[in-house]
Amino acid sequence: MFDPSADDDPRTDQELIALSAAGDRSAFDRLVERHAAAVLRLTNLVTGDPMTAEDALQQTFLAAYRNAASFRSEASVRTWLLAIARNAALRHRSKRGREDIAAESLMQLGLDAGWGAENPEALAIAAEREELLRRAMGDLCTEDQEVLVLRDVEGLSGLEAAEVLGIGERALKSRLHRARLRLAGSLRAALVPDSPEGRGGR
Amino acid sequence: MKERRVAGILCSEVLALLSDYVDGELDSVAVENVESHLLGCPNCERFGRNFGSMVVSLREELARSPEMQLDVMARLLARLRESDTRS
Repeated sequence: MFDPSADDDPRTDQELIALSAAGDRSAFDRLVERHAAAVLRLTNLVTGDPMTAEDALQQTFLAAYRNAASFRSEASVRTWLLAIARNAALRHRSKRGREDIAAESLMQLGLDAGWGAENPEALAIAAEREELLRRAMGDLCTEDQEVLVLRDVEGLSGLEAAEVLGIGERALKSRLHRARLRLAGSLRAALVPDSPEGRGGR
Repeated sequence: MKERRVAGILCSEVLALLSDYVDGELDSVAVENVESHLLGCPNCERFGRNFGSMVVSLREELARSPEMQLDVMARLLARLRESDTRS
């Protein structure tokens, strides 16, 4: 396994991208080592296929190296790379089309997630089990997965995640909240088989 | 779920604000409203607490993996070097 935490280069991402733009390949390699895992997590999720995800990973860094000079210094390098990665991954996925997100009411999403139920603890208990969390994530549509990965897994700010997804910050917040409630519903269904979600009563 | 108005705010309004609350993105007045509601509404308090735990677990459990395989990294760096020699 490649361990990005072994990175002891004191230079910031901004410094490294500026050097990359001037043709310093070893500076760019440091950026690759820092961010490749996050890029691969996103391309894996959007393409749903490890081989295609690796193609998109390579295209992301090839494009980033070529376009290093166009990087705006006020932005985050990680956000910039993730936005390139998402576009690269979506190009591979275009034939499959985009899924439609069902527009359930917020209240219905809350009820499915255990809001007002006897045992909302099931949600937190299920979420502590990595395999259940992964399965519940896998049950969501890509749009829900994307927003959860960018905000909660990669830790991007709302503004940064909105930038990657090409939407406004308000739309991002709404999408994130709905995605979390759907994830909660899916997790709850895994532990409480007779919940509305568990009965397939979506 | 029986909708209640506690501390001047409805359960459904609290439900709508939960992610912003968990993310610390509400202003101080809204935080006070939500917290007063949670204090007087056991249903929302229990759900909100568990919803918050789920968000924390998501960060802790999934951020670690999948790890980057060494061969994937090697192929990526090789591809970048190859493009360098071509240009």
